[in-house]
Amino acid sequence: MSNSILGSGAVSLGLAASITGMIVVAMGLANHRGSWKRETRWLVGIMTFAAIAAVVVMERALITRDFTVAYVAENGSSKTPALFNFATMWAALEGSILLWTLILTGYVVAVLVKFRDRHDDPMVGWAMLTLFVVTTFFFALMLGPANPFKSFNPPLGYDGPGPNPLLQNHVLMAFHPPVLYLGYVGFTVPFAFAISALVTGRVGEGWLLATRRWTVMAWGFLSLGIILGAWWSYETLGWGGYWAWDPVENASFLPWLTGTAFIHSVMVQERRGMLRVWNLSLVVSTFALTILGTFITRSGVLNSVHAFVESGIGPWILTFFALIVVVSLGLIAWRGDELRSPGRIDSPVSREGAFLANNVLFAAFAFVVLLGTIFPLIVEAVDGRSISVGNPYFDRMTMPIGFMLLFLMGIAPVLPWRKASSGVLSQRLIGPAWFGAAVVLFSVLVGARGWAPLLAFGLGGFAAGASGRQLILATRRQGWRGLVGRTNGGMIVHIGVILIAVAFAASNAYVRQDEFNLLPGDTATMSGHTLTFEGSTVIEYPNRTERVARIRIDGGQVYEPALATYPFAGQSINIPSVRSTAVDDIALSVLSYPEGTDDAVLLRATIQPMIVWLWIGGLVIAGGTLMAVVPGNRRRPTDPVSAPLEEVSV
Amino acid sequence: MTNTEPVPDTVPARSRLAVWIVVPLAVTMGLFLILLATRDPSTTRVRQSRLIGGVAPAITGTAIDGSQFDLDNERGRWVVVNFFSTTCVPCQIEHPELVKFQQAHEASGDATIVSVAFDDSSENVRRFFERNGGDWPVLASDTGTYAVSYGVAQVPESYLIAPSGLVVDKLIGGIKLQDLESRITALEQAAAESRAAADNGGG
Amino acid sequence: MSTSITRKRRSNLRLWSWIGAAVLAVSAFLYGSVSGGQPQTNAERAHALADNFACPVCSGQSVAQSDASVARIIRREIRTWVDEGRTTDYIRSQLVADFGEDIDYTPSATGITSLVWILPVVGGAGAITGLFFVFRRWKLDADFEASAEDVALVDAARADLP
Repeated sequence: MSNSILGSGAVSLGLAASITGMIVVAMGLANHRGSWKRETRWLVGIMTFAAIAAVVVMERALITRDFTVAYVAENGSSKTPALFNFATMWAALEGSILLWTLILTGYVVAVLVKFRDRHDDPMVGWAMLTLFVVTTFFFALMLGPANPFKSFNPPLGYDGPGPNPLLQNHVLMAFHPPVLYLGYVGFTVPFAFAISALVTGRVGEGWLLATRRWTVMAWGFLSLGIILGAWWSYETLGWGGYWAWDPVENASFLPWLTGTAFIHSVMVQERRGMLRVWNLSLVVSTFALTILGTFITRSGVLNSVHAFVESGIGPWILTFFALIVVVSLGLIAWRGDELRSPGRIDSPVSREGAFLANNVLFAAFAFVVLLGTIFPLIVEAVDGRSISVGNPYFDRMTMPIGFMLLFLMGIAPVLPWRKASSGVLSQRLIGPAWFGAAVVLFSVLVGARGWAPLLAFGLGGFAAGASGRQLILATRRQGWRGLVGRTNGGMIVHIGVILIAVAFAASNAYVRQDEFNLLPGDTATMSGHTLTFEGSTVIEYPNRTERVARIRIDGGQVYEPALATYPFAGQSINIPSVRSTAVDDIALSVLSYPEGTDDAVLLRATIQPMIVWLWIGGLVIAGGTLMAVVPGNRRRPTDPVSAPLEEVSV
Repeated sequence: MTNTEPVPDTVPARSRLAVWIVVPLAVTMGLFLILLATRDPSTTRVRQSRLIGGVAPAITGTAIDGSQFDLDNERGRWVVVNFFSTTCVPCQIEHPELVKFQQAHEASGDATIVSVAFDDSSENVRRFFERNGGDWPVLASDTGTYAVSYGVAQVPESYLIAPSGLVVDKLIGGIKLQDLESRITALEQAAAESRAAADNGGG
Repeated sequence: MSTSITRKRRSNLRLWSWIGAAVLAVSAFLYGSVSGGQPQTNAERAHALADNFACPVCSGQSVAQSDASVARIIRREIRTWVDEGRTTDYIRSQLVADFGEDIDYTPSATGITSLVWILPVVGGAGAITGLFFVFRRWKLDADFEASAEDVALVDAARADLP
């Protein structure tokens, strides 16, 4: 049977299972009977099987170059190397939805397994219902506007153009989208439980405890996905940068911001039972923002290098987004009374006060990014002008927020719950303060200038000092266990984030870029480095022709940036080459080989300090997240940690 | 397991607060959705040229054949300012049309062409004209940056400049001889009519 | 008594330690901020400027990032202007006049576009004011008791745990 039919069949089966699941769970909930348990298990099984089958069929079609499947005809090619051919499944819109669906069904299975003993609990029931609604939407997308299995009648000897050349020159392409989607999709689970908490009225802390690890895992994947994306664009786009406040980048960053806010504020609710509405809103916003991100990435409304080719998928996603917003807002308004928080914050200078400040800052951050991203649309709608919002706006507006967050990162970990005395603060913060001061001094001594980067380094040192202090104390007390558990893992994550913040500040402040027209044998000098052009060679590949320039850096190793021409895609792209050290990076890319002049090259060189630390920071975040989800088992999360309640309520 | 606690006394105030928060949020989200739903895809947005109706920005410089060119000296006849590059396919397609246009008007001298290379070397441009014909002033981009003053973002892009020296039209995506001729005829007719109207009004 | 003396001495020591750290950080910071380092070269200034303008034909890339012809031409022109000693404002107004308002990545601070600058500031100020009032109210009605509902919730949550 043809792959097209098999694939469509699998998708239809998945849709049928999703819809049936929706109905069965809804009926079970309406009858207050736990009778849906077995059926659900079956339906989730069928649905997951369908998603896996669809993916297998798609990969089979790609690997066998079955051009009767339109997706393969448009994005596959007999000349694409095996790895990128495999990754072609998520190189274009339809396949990316398929990957999304696969991951989503995986999460549903995980929920089913995790809560296998609580299937008759309405809390789990409503969450399952929500999950089924979401899977139904994605399966329906694949039968509607994003059908990956549309058939195609290829002419004799047809060969596809292959995926976009930019998507087939770096290994990261195989990892970045799946990891990012693991993050995006992972937020569906906390969302489902938030909705369920609102519907069942059990808006206390139960749903939080149920979804804590999911949220942290999803957050970790999202962070790693974003960093891999930045790395990918640094290594492949050849402009020497890694982050450009592009709408699609912002679309992935927005849920990260609200998710980060949630991970922090959730602790206030766990310990003090406060901020319930806020936490529910954050979970709902995070999920809604992932869907909005899908819209931005796939509707073509906003300009972006990363955007998929536009398609009719926009109205579908927007409708789903509207549904999420209406349902969530309605439920929150309906449950407004029960969401009343029973506690209060005694002092702004306390752990919970710091979390509150953290949330205000993250909310402001998210607001700035969202506003900047959609602002051109607003202006266009209001008075028809066409404007742009870019780098200068985002840098200027987010910089103060970033500084405040770094400062807070230094103070918050040492703050006790409820109330802090100045004596305690002074004793706990003196170490971090010295560390921060030493970092500033060191930076100035090695030649760093300018108030903004120095402030970032100093605050970064301060914050790193505070996180380091917590980790040292914890390991001294508990040995290796001092590195696991949420608090300690969180501190590791903090160090990763600080590394990234500092590297971001350094690379932005001290970037040097220039273009050189070089003849073989010529040497260019830039920021104390020498670049010698030794000539170029043409290399033929099955799917492309590369003209590789050989550049010797500082008289040492030779680096080979190239210009690749893909005749089938009718596109040429530059393949940068990067020399990385712990201190600085030199990114080289060939802009062109000017014709008419003998063998010359137009070379762009970008020198930035500390780039490597962005990726190391990413790894640290991933490691810290892993540590954070490993059970620390030293204290149950519901055990009181500060003064017992009785004493306070005198 | 549902919550059966008695509702606290303060509910009315809290409910009102909830309404105060949810309603504006809902309105904002509604507007936001309408905004997103009504936007056209970014790729269909067209860029208007601010040049039309104004005096054509200066083009003066040495053409690739070594002669001097000054757009101001061309007042009194129609000028097609053609931005092109030798590697762009639509430019190669439109080139024969331009050659025909130039030949048609060579005798009467009522219209001419000036080509400006867009990010291309003089060497390439010279070879391009040798191969494809065309005998009119050509300026290479390494001799000036006219593309910036005309706001040219993508080639081929041409501007039609009236004998008065005003820019009257912007032509993108390749020129067709027929379109160009009919455009000039229409503009000449309109100019003649408005002249006649002005004469009548004056007399 | 001896403990109180050591405690006092220790807190004195800590005060001096704080002052030392502050003096060190502030003086290093001021020196690094004021002494400015090496002056920006024209290439650096041109690159920094090019990053503030959108490439007119490439979706979402700046003039500095893009490989498109027009981006290259504009980069060259910016470099020429910088070499001529033109001001940033001059370069901005030239490019906006030539390519339209949407080439400028910095929304203007006048008219409707000023909202993009004002709204976040207003929102932030609003949030801080709101928090201020909340804290004040919390301080005023310091009387606080856990409701039966809360106790039930905590019990339920505990019961959920293994």
